[in-house]
Amino acid sequence: MTEQERRKRQEKLLGKLNRLEAYHEIQNEMGRLTAAFNFHQKEKVLEHFALDLEDVSLEYADEGRFEGPAAVKAVLEELLGAPPKPGEMIDMQLTTPMIEVAEDGRTAKCVWWCPGAGAYTDNEGAHAVWLWGEIAVDFIYREEKWKVWHLHYFRLIKCAYEKGWVDDLSMINRPNTPMHPKSLPSTYHNPYSPLSIRDGIPCMPRPYRTYTAADRYWELNRDKR
Amino acid sequence: MRWNMEDLDFLNEEELAELERRTERLLSVWEIQNLRGNAAIFHDDQHIGEQRRELNALKHPGVDAESMLEARRKPVVDSLEGNMLIHPLTTPVIEVDETNTKARGVWWSLGLEGLSIHREKPMAILSIGMVPGVHVKEDGEWKILWGVWQRTTKNEYHAGWIDSMIPTNTRPPLTPEQDRKGFGRYAYQKDRVRCPVPQPPEPDTWEKYPDEWDQSWQKPASETFGLENEKSENKKTVEEKGEES
Repeated sequence: MTEQERRKRQEKLLGKLNRLEAYHEIQNEMGRLTAAFNFHQKEKVLEHFALDLEDVSLEYADEGRFEGPAAVKAVLEELLGAPPKPGEMIDMQLTTPMIEVAEDGRTAKCVWWCPGAGAYTDNEGAHAVWLWGEIAVDFIYREEKWKVWHLHYFRLIKCAYEKGWVDDLSMINRPNTPMHPKSLPSTYHNPYSPLSIRDGIPCMPRPYRTYTAADRYWELNRDKR
Repeated sequence: MRWNMEDLDFLNEEELAELERRTERLLSVWEIQNLRGNAAIFHDDQHIGEQRRELNALKHPGVDAESMLEARRKPVVDSLEGNMLIHPLTTPVIEVDETNTKARGVWWSLGLEGLSIHREKPMAILSIGMVPGVHVKEDGEWKILWGVWQRTTKNEYHAGWIDSMIPTNTRPPLTPEQDRKGFGRYAYQKDRVRCPVPQPPEPDTWEKYPDEWDQSWQKPASETFGLENEKSENKKTVEEKGEES
C-alpha cells in the first residue's frame, strides 16, 4: 500500500469518526433545544440557531416561514416572549431520530417524530392538550458547534386531551387573525383530521455528499424512490 | 467496509490513542442508552427478589448499597396482575467526561401505566416525566450511579393532567403533601409556573461540575426558582426502583 493510499484511508476513517461524533452531538444539541423550548427559555432556544447566517430560518406549523436572524428572533418572541403563565405547559419529546450527516461533515439533515403534551389557560382555567408533530432540521457546523440552520415544525395533532384528535379539530389551523408581518408563506401544513391524507412528509433524509441550493426543502420531497 | 490491522499501521501512537479515545466515548453513549433501556425494562417488570443483572454501581464510594437492596425487596402492590410501568425514553442528552469514566444524562418520557394495588380493577395512568442521572464505570461496565424519575404528570387516563395527580404508590401511602415534596416536586400544577428542571447537561458539564454526586448541574443558579441549596441532597439515598410504582 502506498503512502498516498494510506493517507486516503486515514482520511476516510477520520471522516467516519467525525460523522459518528456529529450524530451524537446533534442529538444532544436538539435535546437541549427541545428542553429549552419546553421550559419557555427563549434566549436558550436562540443560542442554538446560526444567527450569523442570513438564510437561517424557522417555519412553525401554519404560522409561516421566518427567514433571516431578525425574523427568527421575531417568531420566537411571538412564541416564547411573554413570561410563562401558571398552568401552562409544553412537553414535546424527540423520538425516531433520522439523521444524515453530509460526507463533508459540514451539514446534517434530520427528522424527529415528536409526541407531546401540553396545557393552556384561559378565563375558565387550564386545559390539557395533545401536541404531536414532526421536526425537520438542517444543522450546520459553525465554529466547532452544530447550529440550527433551517428548522421546520410540522403540526400533526393539536387537540383537547379529553376529546381526542378525531373529534377536536378546533386547534389544527391558526385562527383567521393577521399573520406576523415578518412571515413568509408556509411551505406545508397537513395536520391530522378525519379528511386529511398522510403523505410521508417530512420525508426521510437520504445520504448526501455536500449541501447545495437544490437541497433546500428536501424534507418536502414526495418522491419515495 | 471492515478494517484490518494493516489499515491501522499508518497511524502513529498519538493518532491511534486519540482515535481510540474518541471511539470509546462514542461506544459509551451507546452502552449507556442500552443500560437505561434495560433499567426501563426492569422497572416495568416488578418481580421482587428475582436474580437480575445488576444495573446500579453498588461498589462506588458513597453508595448505600444495603439500603438500596433492602428497598428492592419491599412490595408496593399485592399482585403484579394489571400493573404496568412503561416509560419509553426520549430526547436523550448524554455527556461523557474526557476520561470516559463518568457520564451525565437526561431523558424525557411519555409513558403509560396500569396500577392495581389490592387486585382491584387497574387504573389506567398517563405518566410524563424526565430521568436525569449519572453513570459510572464499575469493573469495566457502565452502571447507574443515581437517577431519579422526575414526574411531570401522573394522571388517571380519562381525568387528564390538569386535575388528576396520582401520588407515588408507597406503603404506607403518601399524603398529597408528602408526594409533592418527593417525586412530584417539579410536577405540573395548574396554578404554578413550570420549573425548568432538570436542565440537560452542557458539553462542559464535567469541567463545571466535576463531582459525580453534585446535582446542581440540573438547576443552574440563575434559574433555581427558589430551589437553592439542593446540592447533593439525594446523595447515598437515591434509589430509582420504587419510583412511581
